[in-house]
Amino acid sequence: MSKTTIPTGGIADDAINLTSKVTGALPVANGGTALTSGFTNGGGLTGTDMWRVTADFAGNVNPISSNLERCDETGFGRIGTGMTNSSGTFSFPSTGIWLISFTAFHFTDNSADYISIKINTTTDNSTYALVAQGIAQMHPVDAFSQGTATCVLDVTNTTNCKVRFETDHADTSNKIRGQSAYNRSWFEFIRLGDT
Amino acid sequence: MPDEKGRPNHIEDALSSMHKNQWFTYTDSKNKIYANVRLTDKIGVNGELVDNPVTELPTESAVNTKLTEMQNAWDTLHGE
Repeated sequence: MSKTTIPTGGIADDAINLTSKVTGALPVANGGTALTSGFTNGGGLTGTDMWRVTADFAGNVNPISSNLERCDETGFGRIGTGMTNSSGTFSFPSTGIWLISFTAFHFTDNSADYISIKINTTTDNSTYALVAQGIAQMHPVDAFSQGTATCVLDVTNTTNCKVRFETDHADTSNKIRGQSAYNRSWFEFIRLGDT
Repeated sequence: MPDEKGRPNHIEDALSSMHKNQWFTYTDSKNKIYANVRLTDKIGVNGELVDNPVTELPTESAVNTKLTEMQNAWDTLHGE
């Protein structure tokens, strides 16, 4: 028997059994998109990780291969096993659509400069292509800036799909700042969904 | 790691100014003292890992001298 109003006194606890009474599409929220499938136990993201540069360096570097660590400050967490780093070549723990971001803290102590922040990926474990570039510009000396590059990679094969990170400057005496206690220059990896 | 105003105040400021690229590392990244500084085996150049061209660590004295030079230059530039 269908009802169109809630009875006086509301609805008793356990009065609605959703295990077999729901069909069709459920609206997510006012104005939201209705979902008819795709629900999984737990839901949400299934993979995240974060790494950082732990020491300063100057000049053009490709790939950034040393002084890298997984973030380890108090409270840090990741989902899944995380990325694997081999001398600056990062491998994914699982296939899927991955969001990749590189943010670098730049410092110049002697000249106006720019920093170019680059993400290079491969899908054949051999040839790397530039897929994202960020630029930060500084004019005075003793200037700090931060730039970010972001891309999305369809990781169809964890053996062949990998990522590296690169920086270059107009004035190669200027520096990228690293830090091991907190994030100054870092890489983010977030698995958005299945490939 | 310069201070908030940019004045060099750590051996890493000197080390990263002595050569380009990631030529040095630490045996303990949480304890950045001279005794923990080491040369890296490889550096990234044009998409390839090549042998680190720096084959000898600077002495602690040389690093400290470099840091002092940088601090003096910064102080002169900023009138301090």
